[in-house]
Amino acid sequence: MAIKTILCIEDDRFIGEMYVRSLQKAGYSVEWMVDGSDGLVAARNKPYDLIILDLMLPEQRGDQILDALRNDTVDLIPDSKILVMTNFEQDDSSREAMLKRVDGYLIKADITPRRLIEVIEELGGQTNE
Amino acid sequence: MNRKTKTIRQFQSYHQKLSIWLILGASLLFTLLICLGFGISGVVAWSNPWLWIVPLLALGLNAGLLLLVLPQITRPLYEILAALAHKTGEPNPNTLPNPNSKQNEKTGFKTVLQALYSESQQHDDTKSDSQSFLTEALNHTSCGVIIIGPDKQIISANAASPIGYDQAGKPFLALSFLDDISLEQWIGECDSTAINAERRWQRVPTDSRVMKKQRYFDVIASYEKGAAAETVLLLVDQTERYLPEEEDLNFIAFAAHELRGPITVIRGYLDILEQEMADRLRGDEAELLSRLTVSANRLSGYINNILNVARFDRHHLQVHLYEDTVYNIYASIADDMQLRAKSQHRLLNVLIPKDLPTVAADRGSISEAIGNLIDNAIKYSFEGGTVTVSAANKGDFVEISVADNGVGMPPNIVKNLFRKFYRSHRSRETVAGTGIGLYITKAFVESHGGSISVSSKENEGSVFSFTLPVYASVADKLLDDGQLNQSLVRRGGGWIKNHSTYRR
Repeated sequence: MAIKTILCIEDDRFIGEMYVRSLQKAGYSVEWMVDGSDGLVAARNKPYDLIILDLMLPEQRGDQILDALRNDTVDLIPDSKILVMTNFEQDDSSREAMLKRVDGYLIKADITPRRLIEVIEELGGQTNE
Repeated sequence: MNRKTKTIRQFQSYHQKLSIWLILGASLLFTLLICLGFGISGVVAWSNPWLWIVPLLALGLNAGLLLLVLPQITRPLYEILAALAHKTGEPNPNTLPNPNSKQNEKTGFKTVLQALYSESQQHDDTKSDSQSFLTEALNHTSCGVIIIGPDKQIISANAASPIGYDQAGKPFLALSFLDDISLEQWIGECDSTAINAERRWQRVPTDSRVMKKQRYFDVIASYEKGAAAETVLLLVDQTERYLPEEEDLNFIAFAAHELRGPITVIRGYLDILEQEMADRLRGDEAELLSRLTVSANRLSGYINNILNVARFDRHHLQVHLYEDTVYNIYASIADDMQLRAKSQHRLLNVLIPKDLPTVAADRGSISEAIGNLIDNAIKYSFEGGTVTVSAANKGDFVEISVADNGVGMPPNIVKNLFRKFYRSHRSRETVAGTGIGLYITKAFVESHGGSISVSSKENEGSVFSFTLPVYASVADKLLDDGQLNQSLVRRGGGWIKNHSTYRR
């Protein structure tokens, strides 16, 4: 199944709007949550094809959201892909722990909206295989 | 008389015999005295046989009784002797007295035996006075001293050593060797390749999961195969020297991370504007917009350089090697580079063959390295000049070169070029820069197992070249590692394990 619906959990208004605008123009259905708690609730309530997850978030950090959604015993979102997008790189051990459970780990400053759409197309392409 | 040293056992049997003779002798003497007493006083006539029969019967009975209770009386003595014999290591056929037997507990003899046995224990520990003296002396120093045996277990560690204990209570070295080869790996290498070896590590932090207070050590390890003290570690506590620097680096990393937020917004919206306004721009507006993009991209590159230098200096820089082609790596930054060259009126000439052997590379690091070299080539050349990026196969390596026909450098500058913050006198006056681009580029290249070099002629231009290992030549090492998110990095002659990241 190709990626159609996207949940974007991002607290920076400029960056959030930028992603939403570009992704919608590219034909995706995007919902945007600005804090961690709302993000987690949204991810639990509705299945999304992709979750774009920031790490430094108010209320709940991105890694806590990830722990709640997908851990060793439970996967609440088996059909969703997760793309971590952060500007604050984690230390190696926490990043390692995260990488096993996500489909991508990107530095926001290195990724322009056009590049992000390419990345999502690549992820969507993988699901078609 | 036999003057040879007698054993405790010999003394025991001597004492046993002596006790019997003393009992018999004393009883006989006592009987004789009674008989004499009766005879002399006239109570019983000398001729009366009872005078002799009764005392002799008493003698027999008395001696018999005494001999019967003798073992009971001498038992504690012999048990003490047996314990002593055990302590001195004398062969002893008797079973050792058990301090925990019911009787010993009841009578209190347990205390005596325990005192004997525990004294024996202490005696073992302090077998060598010089050893205890040394241990005490080493505990005074602020340097850690650790001795590791041929079984790779810590035999001895003084008080200043950073030691943690695992669940089984076994001591282990609580240091994080980060991106460097770890002590364990080094000892492993020594086992298979060396008889004697020495290695030094600098700025090794304590493992933050074990030691709460962060300390930094310079470590010197000496190895001698098979010796009782096979590996001896000396750890010099350099916390005071490294910690302030570490805090500065943390601040730099934090500040650079903060800058990334606005950069994301600037680059992102420029990207959107460029796309959405493409057919509305007139005159030089497109050019102006692309200058903004180029500058934002360069800013982003500088921030990455700063973060990478901070990471490299803290030994946190890690590269993750995957099979890749130089052609594809360059393709990921080609548009950006073309834009940079064009906006500064340089011609960018790219000659990277598609069919070169694949290399083991971390795409993010190598594209940053190439970007830094192209930036430099643009900076130190003239408007209208040409920057040539080329690649060629050289044995087990692929060499990537960035050439310009710019100002060039005299030889005395070349040797300092890769030092951190180095700026030549001339470039300080004429060209803006921080002096970290080449420093981090060299770090990236070397952490791939490659090398970087430069040839330059004043007023003719410079060629910077670096090599990357051909994937096939290192694939075995990379695959040996097995796990998906781990890879190996060659450094200082050894291969070390490294954890992976996801970069594009």
